[in-house]
Amino acid sequence: MFQKSSSKKDEYTSNVNYDNNDNVETVVGPSVNVEGDFSSEGNIVVKGTVSGSVNTSKLLTVEDGAKIFANVKAGNAHISGSVKGNVKVVDRLDLSSTAQILGDIVCKVLTVESGALIQGKVSMKGLEIEEKQTKKTSSLKSKVKDLVEDNDEGETV
Amino acid sequence: MYVYLYDDFLRQKKYDLLVKAMETRLTDFGIAGKIIRLQNFTNAKAVIDDEINRGAKTIVIVGNDRTFGNVLSRAATCGILFGFLPVGPDNSIAEVLGIPVGEKACDILAQRRKIKLDTGWFNNRYFVSRLHILPSKITIEYDEKFKVSTNYKSELIICNLQPFSWKGEKQEYMIHPQDGKLEAFLLPITKKSLFGKYKYEEPSVFPFEEMIVSAKTPFVVDADGKISKETKIKIRLAKKRVEMIVGKERKF
Repeated sequence: MFQKSSSKKDEYTSNVNYDNNDNVETVVGPSVNVEGDFSSEGNIVVKGTVSGSVNTSKLLTVEDGAKIFANVKAGNAHISGSVKGNVKVVDRLDLSSTAQILGDIVCKVLTVESGALIQGKVSMKGLEIEEKQTKKTSSLKSKVKDLVEDNDEGETV
Repeated sequence: MYVYLYDDFLRQKKYDLLVKAMETRLTDFGIAGKIIRLQNFTNAKAVIDDEINRGAKTIVIVGNDRTFGNVLSRAATCGILFGFLPVGPDNSIAEVLGIPVGEKACDILAQRRKIKLDTGWFNNRYFVSRLHILPSKITIEYDEKFKVSTNYKSELIICNLQPFSWKGEKQEYMIHPQDGKLEAFLLPITKKSLFGKYKYEEPSVFPFEEMIVSAKTPFVVDADGKISKETKIKIRLAKKRVEMIVGKERKF
């Protein structure tokens, strides 16, 4: 009855089902702290704390309660925790209601659930209209400058 | 020439019939050879080196996961072809290698489908199936890039050939052998009940090629059944180290 047992057998087994052929993810558990350049070729799931930098070409999931004090680069990202640093996502960034981001965001597609907090600049790729507008406004500004200079010269003559 | 290394437990009467049937089958295939019975303190590497000098071309391990680990942890550097005939219970590695337990394993051995396997390496020793660090306060440095620490005592399990799965409340984790990386499972222990039962937090999983585990106080390391106490260990993947005869139904 009072036998000491590690009870591991209850929790992990060696009967493995190989049919479920998912990629092994890098998982940072809730009480785990990671310091340094944290990079992975596969998916990353963060439940604990990471400081330094985070880099993956695949999916980054930051769960509710997780904290990242680092610049983040990912292929896709789903954020429910807090990030203090710039977030650069190649494709899609999903922010859930509990997400908090203090830093600039660069992504292609952004979805923001109500309640998510962002403080920083959001830049999205593929905005051709904005670039044209800026060109137009810049050309208008130069024309106005020329006119003002012409007027100034006329008055002095 | 084939040399067969029999584990000591095969002396038990209940295995007599099976062992005899296997020996008959091996003779039928023309691959019967010298039989050496391993004792508890037999140095497998010395025995194998001796047999290589006498002209052995294939070493066949006969036993279970423990036998397999014990022999290959010492003999991984021998540079000879290995075979495996699994007998009795505790044979999870055989399943990974696609070798059926018992008499049918002789067919796989006769087919000689060869493959080079990755092994783990730590402090000048190899481990083939699994390395286990018992609960202690450890710090881990992965691939000289990032450090991992917890506030609790943690268990660390590093898997190579032996399958490992974790059925958590939310998620099921599983590793795949021979994927060019070793997988480390860090299991922080958040509670210990009156009855000595540990309560584990959900594991952290890190695929890696090299890691350094250190602690202020010595921790217990169990590599393929060999137990030692260390304060700092360097673990890395030794790619394509052991040549092995495997089955068609292997899991990698």
